[in-house]
Amino acid sequence: MPFVEDPAQLSKTRLKSDLVAHNVELPPAASKKEVYVELHLKHIDHKNTADFSSDDEDPVQDVEKKQKESQDSEVPDPRRLTDDDLKAALLQHGVKAGPIVASTRALYEKKLRKLLQCDGHDGLNGAEHKAVLYSDSEEEEEEEEEEEEEEEEEEGEGGVDEEEKEADSEQEQQETAEEPEQIQQQSTELPPEPVKGILKDFIPDTKTTPTGIYATSRRPIKGAAQRPIQYAYPDTPVSPMTLERREVERHLVPIQIQILVFIALAFILYFIYVNVEDSSSVLALLDSFNQWSDSEEGVLPQVMTQDTQSVSGQD
Amino acid sequence: MSTTSQKHRDFVAEPMGDKPVTALSGIGEALGQKLEDQGFDKASVVLGQFLLLKKDSEMFTDWLKDASGANSRQAGSCAQCLKEWCDAFL
Repeated sequence: MPFVEDPAQLSKTRLKSDLVAHNVELPPAASKKEVYVELHLKHIDHKNTADFSSDDEDPVQDVEKKQKESQDSEVPDPRRLTDDDLKAALLQHGVKAGPIVASTRALYEKKLRKLLQCDGHDGLNGAEHKAVLYSDSEEEEEEEEEEEEEEEEEEGEGGVDEEEKEADSEQEQQETAEEPEQIQQQSTELPPEPVKGILKDFIPDTKTTPTGIYATSRRPIKGAAQRPIQYAYPDTPVSPMTLERREVERHLVPIQIQILVFIALAFILYFIYVNVEDSSSVLALLDSFNQWSDSEEGVLPQVMTQDTQSVSGQD
Repeated sequence: MSTTSQKHRDFVAEPMGDKPVTALSGIGEALGQKLEDQGFDKASVVLGQFLLLKKDSEMFTDWLKDASGANSRQAGSCAQCLKEWCDAFL
């Protein structure tokens, strides 16, 4: 039987796609399974019992309707969303969008579509898809879709066919977009791995890794951790101020000598300061100074007198 | 930085003032003309778009490719140029 009657036994993603196939409003992305089961029971089972005989037609009709309306399987067409809703939807996927204005709206819609696709792909085939996504080849998207198709054939569900077709049309779009670029670039996958694609676009020299994990070193913080700020244009001339200062410095007294002189002066001033405070020591100091000066003078005359005396004595 | 062009260096060295779109790195005559047709006649207007996209290089390159038909290299170069200009002057 193509449709399982008991929704609780279905997987969450299956419930989601069923809800969408029957045009039921989806609850927010992080809802529990019970919410989906409830809605499923409410809308779909009710519907199923009503037109059980036309089950085969429903999915086909839905598919056609879906195709005409949009390419998304989960949320209403980004084009139909209001600016606020678009912003909220992007936020749900962890994208902090800037202002949604005329010029930016198209971009954000595209981004939301990409994200929804990613969700859809992941929902079908999480692990396998990731492995395929991370493989580095230009045929990546085709491989991915082939796998998807295989999976869908295995499951044999009508509701999933729409995604296959959606994936095909998306592939066509991407191929036409890629053609002009393929000549210049090695690999130009834009979705579903925007990070990898852009990395290649920016840095054409990145070596491709088999796992698709690219480790690029973060640009070091300027001026931090003993990393001196290296200005991008080192050949700019030294500023005139620096030149002037260097010239002046050459003619002035060197700093070392200035410091020595300063210390000597300080020493002298300290002495004077001490003198002013204590008069007794002043006298003592003065005396000592006098003695020192006197002694020098005194010594000489003493020596001289001694000499003269001795001289006279000798005579 | 040997990977930046002279045009890039010239642009990032000073405030852009009233420079035309073609002064941006990666934007030549043809692309410049296309941008001007869309109303982006000065580099500052393109800067405005860059800032609107919250200085996100990825989104900006997508936009530039859509708006002017630039290829990845040119768009990346322009984004890099604007980013550095913002780092220096904004």
